[in-house]
Amino acid sequence: MDPALEALIQLGAPLALLALAFFTGRRAERRHYQSIRARERELCMLPAVTFRQIPSSWGVDGVGLVTGSVVISVDHFKRFLAGLRTLVGGRIKSYETLLDRARREAVLRCKEQARARGYHAVVNLRLETTRIAGKSRKGNATAGVEVLAFGTGLELRRDPR
Amino acid sequence: MEYDGRLPAEGINTSDEHPLREFALLVGGLVGAAVACIAIAALAIDRLVPLLPPALEARWFGGWLAPDAEAESDPRTASLQTLLDRLARHWSDHPYAFRVAVLDDAEPNAIALPGGGILVTTGLLAQVANENELALVLGHELGHYHGRDHLRGLGRGLATQLVLGALSGGGGEVVAGLAATAGQLAQRGFDRSQESRADAFGLALVHAEYGHVAGAGDFFTRLAESRATGATGRLAGYLATHPLHADRVTALHAEAAARGWASEGPLTPLAIPTPSK
Repeated sequence: MDPALEALIQLGAPLALLALAFFTGRRAERRHYQSIRARERELCMLPAVTFRQIPSSWGVDGVGLVTGSVVISVDHFKRFLAGLRTLVGGRIKSYETLLDRARREAVLRCKEQARARGYHAVVNLRLETTRIAGKSRKGNATAGVEVLAFGTGLELRRDPR
Repeated sequence: MEYDGRLPAEGINTSDEHPLREFALLVGGLVGAAVACIAIAALAIDRLVPLLPPALEARWFGGWLAPDAEAESDPRTASLQTLLDRLARHWSDHPYAFRVAVLDDAEPNAIALPGGGILVTTGLLAQVANENELALVLGHELGHYHGRDHLRGLGRGLATQLVLGALSGGGGEVVAGLAATAGQLAQRGFDRSQESRADAFGLALVHAEYGHVAGAGDFFTRLAESRATGATGRLAGYLATHPLHADRVTALHAEAAARGWASEGPLTPLAIPTPSK
């Protein structure tokens, strides 16, 4: 067969895989953002703040650890774009949305856990990010990320002071 | 202290740019850069190739088709070598020690190796009907040495491999593949003018040897017909390494007519023995 035609056919499979990953990844991202925005509106009146000290004016009845964690996979298209970025440099925009989703989802889950346990606020909120290693020919690919949000849930007295 | 549950602002931690736009910019830019690198290397090689003395070429690449006992004992090799030597005689003061060997491959093809070694496939030997047809094929390969196209091809291949090798880190395999395809397509026009010049050179040798150019293009006509069954129109012709075979025959006839070479004459039967297996 003609070498150029052969090369095109050989490129067909990787390009098809990229297209598939683009569509599935984009759909997942759009739905995830819809869910994140709806739940952020729902939980916006439950504060999750980074104070380490509880303000003295707050009457606290109970405290406890609350956590929220999420693991999101990198899709093939995002990884491809990030791979090209390693050649030329610049913002890895495809991973920015991935991590933005993961952080917001983790905070939301943390808030959901706080609400489920009867807490009215979360203080000293912290975020941790972990790369989940996957397998590749070089043995160092990123399969996905985990973002963990944790903080101290507070049960506030109905009528402080 | 009042807590107000403001929602996060959008578009600060993330970018609104469509991922396909980024994809197009990155892939297009990298493919363009790779093709530009290859093109610059190819132009440089084109300038450098005529400066490489054939003696040095023979020293570097002579071992690519070194005489070995098995090939020497092949009766086909001896007949081919005789025909090649007869044709090469008409290219006076050529600086090469031409050798020919048979390559066991069904695809009809002939290859000019650096250093003066010519490979002829068994598929080609099966397709040629007489010595005149074979003489044009060998003359065509001698034409590649005359233009030193074989070194250009080698140098370009090397440059392409180097550039694509550099790209294939960091998930650039797809980009490398695209650049390779684009490079091959871009090279076609270049290759075609080389092929046409090699054809004209081969035809001159055939005329010098036989005194006419009868039957010279018949081999290509037959190849074109055999490919027509599986061909996909003009695109296949453009993509092919060699020019469209029908165009090629027309060009050969035009060349012969322009030079006033006789297109009729006695055809010499093929004297290539079939190998005993």
